[in-house]
Amino acid sequence: MSEMPELVEEQMRTVIVGVADFKISTDALTYLATYALGSCLGITFYDEKRRVGGLLHAMLPSAKLHKGQKVRDCMFLDTGIPRVLAAMVRAGAKKSEMRVKVFGGAQLMATDNFFRIGAKNIDMFYKLSQEFELDVAAWEVSGRVNRTIRLNNFNGDVIVKIPARPEFIR
Amino acid sequence: MKSASDLQTVVEMTRSIPCAPAILPKLLKLTEGSSADLGELEMLISLDTGLATNVLRTANSAYFANTQRCESIADAVLRLGSKTLYRIAATTLTGRWLVHPVRGYGWEPGDLCRHSLCVAICAEAFAKTTHLADSSTAYTAGLIHDLGKFALAYANFSALDEIASRVPDDYLTWRDAELAVLGFDSAEVTKILLQNWGFPQNFISVGFFYQKPSEAPEEDRNLVTLIHASKHVATQLGYGVGADGFYCDPDEAALEAAGFRDDEMDAAIPEILATIQRFITPEGELNFR
Repeated sequence: MSEMPELVEEQMRTVIVGVADFKISTDALTYLATYALGSCLGITFYDEKRRVGGLLHAMLPSAKLHKGQKVRDCMFLDTGIPRVLAAMVRAGAKKSEMRVKVFGGAQLMATDNFFRIGAKNIDMFYKLSQEFELDVAAWEVSGRVNRTIRLNNFNGDVIVKIPARPEFIR
Repeated sequence: MKSASDLQTVVEMTRSIPCAPAILPKLLKLTEGSSADLGELEMLISLDTGLATNVLRTANSAYFANTQRCESIADAVLRLGSKTLYRIAATTLTGRWLVHPVRGYGWEPGDLCRHSLCVAICAEAFAKTTHLADSSTAYTAGLIHDLGKFALAYANFSALDEIASRVPDDYLTWRDAELAVLGFDSAEVTKILLQNWGFPQNFISVGFFYQKPSEAPEEDRNLVTLIHASKHVATQLGYGVGADGFYCDPDEAALEAAGFRDDEMDAAIPEILATIQRFITPEGELNFR
């Protein structure tokens, strides 16, 4: 990560990524942000040399469980991640130089049978990170907190906001 | 604050629960002239927790009530008529909106409305598939299920900070911390508000028991369990969830008894999310166009 000059900070614009969506930016003066991850995962992709950044907000682990439903690729980790990787490469990023950070996957109190989306998402991301040989630089997952994140496309920092707590950088 | 008079203070301070002002212009347009579209009015009102609450409360007030109680927004719209509806909305919407982040819960303005709307949409979807309750009743119950927290936030008690600081180290659930710090919990506030406003008993049961549906009266347990399930699914979706959100304890016995299955709830999420995204923009704004 590199220091942000004050002048640069003033020029930064923010692009919002909705649930079940992704955005790519080749503009260094951009924040890619997504609100309230809950049990979803927010995954940032960043090629520092080329300053190409991407952010995916996926809700569920696998599209295979929802066959026949009218759904979007980016709702699921197993269909969303390859799509973002392909879009990053199309935008000029090199996969071998991409660093990935993962956020969210909040979990409700211990229960064996219900409301385990957070845990399922984290398990699936771990599996996919190995399958796609992702260089995962930060895991800010699980816990009982709702995270809002912003990827700084100037330096790859991710600013994390949790209700009633101060922001921090990963 | 641990006395009953503090509980009364919370109730007194929330004579009018704040609503999202964004819907006022649309509501005004709909109620102009003599040919208001009542179906559209119903939809608009149903999207806002505070407004839906006030409309139902007014429809069941001594002035408007007849022998039959209004249990849905559709009934209330018919009973009140467009002009009265607009008056209620305008009175409720102006000047009472939380325009600052809320201490303790860490809510941004509008968060509880966003979350309640998600619970309502989940409840409506699950009602259609499980037949545990009428879908309109379920939707309304979802909107009003957590009004006590709204009231506590509106009263802006410093004790909310203490509650936040004691979860999870001293208390596993937010409710336990509320009971320890305040001497009462937000569910009790919800119950009193709904009672004062003349809500039917099944809604009062939802407000008071939604965190522990096994303890709800048998005749209301299906609806209460439906809201319990919807609350947890909506919490996982994240919209408007504050510091309190994930510190609640799923009632597995009640969920199993009502026939809920985890895989079926997960399977419903894509459709639920599509409905939510019709009304909440990626920026988190409520969108009523």
